[in-house]
Amino acid sequence: MADILDVTQSLIQIVTTICIVVISISIVMLLYRTIKGPTNPDRAVSLDSIGVNLMGIAGLLAILLVTTKFNDVILLIGILLFIGTVALAKFLEKGVIIERDMD
Amino acid sequence: MTRTNDIILRTTTSLIAFILIGFSVYLFFSGHNNPGGGFIGGLMTAAAIILMNMAYGSEAMAKVLPVNFRFVVALGLAIAVLTGVGSFVFGQPFLSQTYAYFQLPILGKTELATALLFDLGVYLTVIGVTMTIILTIADDRG
Amino acid sequence: MSNLAILPILIPFIAGILLAFLNKHIPLVRSLAKIITVAQLLFVSWLCYLVYQSGSIILETGAWKAPYGIIIVADSLAMTLVLTTNIVAVACVFFAPVSLTEKQERFYFYPFFFLLITGVSGAFLTGDLFNLFVFFEVLLMASYGLIVLGNGKVQLRESLKYVLINVFSSMLFVTTIAFLYAIVGTVNMAQIAQRVQEVDQAGILTVIGILFFFVFATKAAIFPLYYWLPNPYIVPNPVVSALFGALLTKVGIYAILRTFTLIFVHDPNLTHTLFIYLAALTMIFGVIGALSTHNIKLIVAYNIIPAVGFMLMGIGLFTETSISGTLYYLVHDMIIKGSLFLIVGAIAYVAGTSDLRKMGGLIHHYPVLGWMLFIASLVLAGIPPFSGFIGKLLLLQGGVAQEELLIVITGLITSLLILFSMIRIFVKGFWGEKSDVLPTKPVKTAPFTWPIAFLLTFSVLLGLGAEWVYPSVQSMAEYLMNPDLYIESILKE
Repeated sequence: MADILDVTQSLIQIVTTICIVVISISIVMLLYRTIKGPTNPDRAVSLDSIGVNLMGIAGLLAILLVTTKFNDVILLIGILLFIGTVALAKFLEKGVIIERDMD
Repeated sequence: MTRTNDIILRTTTSLIAFILIGFSVYLFFSGHNNPGGGFIGGLMTAAAIILMNMAYGSEAMAKVLPVNFRFVVALGLAIAVLTGVGSFVFGQPFLSQTYAYFQLPILGKTELATALLFDLGVYLTVIGVTMTIILTIADDRG
Repeated sequence: MSNLAILPILIPFIAGILLAFLNKHIPLVRSLAKIITVAQLLFVSWLCYLVYQSGSIILETGAWKAPYGIIIVADSLAMTLVLTTNIVAVACVFFAPVSLTEKQERFYFYPFFFLLITGVSGAFLTGDLFNLFVFFEVLLMASYGLIVLGNGKVQLRESLKYVLINVFSSMLFVTTIAFLYAIVGTVNMAQIAQRVQEVDQAGILTVIGILFFFVFATKAAIFPLYYWLPNPYIVPNPVVSALFGALLTKVGIYAILRTFTLIFVHDPNLTHTLFIYLAALTMIFGVIGALSTHNIKLIVAYNIIPAVGFMLMGIGLFTETSISGTLYYLVHDMIIKGSLFLIVGAIAYVAGTSDLRKMGGLIHHYPVLGWMLFIASLVLAGIPPFSGFIGKLLLLQGGVAQEELLIVITGLITSLLILFSMIRIFVKGFWGEKSDVLPTKPVKTAPFTWPIAFLLTFSVLLGLGAEWVYPSVQSMAEYLMNPDLYIESILKE
């Protein structure tokens, strides 16, 4: 029984480590896309995906470090991401983020 | 150009903004022993207000929330300093804090610390500064 | 435990917040600001007296014991500098309403002013390296607010440079604190000093010391890093220039003085010798700058730099005489730079220009202003019996005793050139034929005159009363040269 526990534990560690590495690589590639463009919607989408990947890393770290304190962080990144996406989308469509009078 | 339709944004905003404010209150109170605190809580509240600004426009928000945010900065700083000065009255060094357990109606046994008051000052200051900066930048009248 | 030590920081902070609330009622804000600064000056003088009588007052905030909590140390050095700061503040607050337009005052001048005083007093009083960084930030934030006051195009360009250079050096500051923390495991200055003697890591500590010096040298405008200073200091209103010129660079010098007499004393042959050479270069380049321009404000702004050189020279020589020279010069320079900036501000105001070539014959209309400038120039250049002389005499004595004749000669030549650069304003602007570009109707100068006269009185007293001032300066220098006194007063083991 103890053997199986050990194996699963080391398995989880290996898998999460690999996942973190892979996600980090994808963030780097997304960063390239953010800088290179070529169009603004590309940048918006890649920034959005960077945020999703960041949430993923936070979750994986929570597994690796065996803590629940990161759960708030994940929620926080998600909310900021949502607002960022809305702002970017509005900027792309209207050119202004906060208008004075909308009606 | 046709008028853009933002009914989805407006409907979700009216829902999500209040979830955000609720979350910010949670973060504010969890700050004593867990991740969170006045700074993050303030940022979250500011995020909610900005979201509403984006969905409804700054003029409508000025009617709904007629607050001068520079005043909020000063108020927050005043609260933060006065909690520090409050310890003078009890003959303690500056910034001394204390805590006690209270029996509250819904929450049950709760720990309340005077550090929370200091955090309230931070919370208000952060909201004030963030909103002042963003609304100043967004104001395109020159 | 004594809460008295924190009050020089708290009073201006609370005043700043209060005045931010009342911002709409400018006449009320003005009179409140005057009352608060004067009351604070009286309080700080009393506190200073108390510290001289019965030793330093130490506050452990939140009742956390010394090496663990944040401490505020009101020792004789810090209190003297806080007192000087408050003297300058009183003069500036009385000068402000005449010099600023009401619109500028409405842009939160007084709250920022009080926050600046908070930051400066805090930087002098703190006994914790990280809090030194925090108070540096407080005073820089306030200075960002003050430098853009007035909204000119030139001002925006200069303030952008100012903000960038300061943000960079602050970043380096906090990184360096992290390095030091990695070596000694504490940010309490007394404990750092104690552990530096124990850890036996001289090489890496020297590197960290030089990094700290780099940070503080950027703030204090020492030789390779002074290039940012002159322009941002002349574009804002004269009051703001006076505050900056009197206080900001001096905080940098104070930080060097504190860290390099308390913490990084393990290898003075390397660090302190470097200071001597840099001091000489700072003096030369600063005074060349002052001679190269016809803009009276720029002349005064450039004159900050050789003064910094003199103070650094005292730290570099690292003897009791030279350190007391630096202390004397520090206090003298805060007061005289404040009054000089106010004087040239007033001159530029009455003449309608700050270009020396367009001035002339001002003495006919403004005799008081002219003679005040004359006295201030003599004080700055160090003509006996004024205060600049005593400071320079001590510094040069220290230099001769250490046989660093090169710096002594440089110092003497620089003094002469400083006098020349200042007297040029007097000769060209006040003597000679009346220039026709000047407004013919004389402006009333009485409201300008009083704050300047107030500062000059202190400056002259500092020189004439050297007999009484010198013993306390000497005891401060003695205290600085024995870091153990500071460590024991805080850690009390």
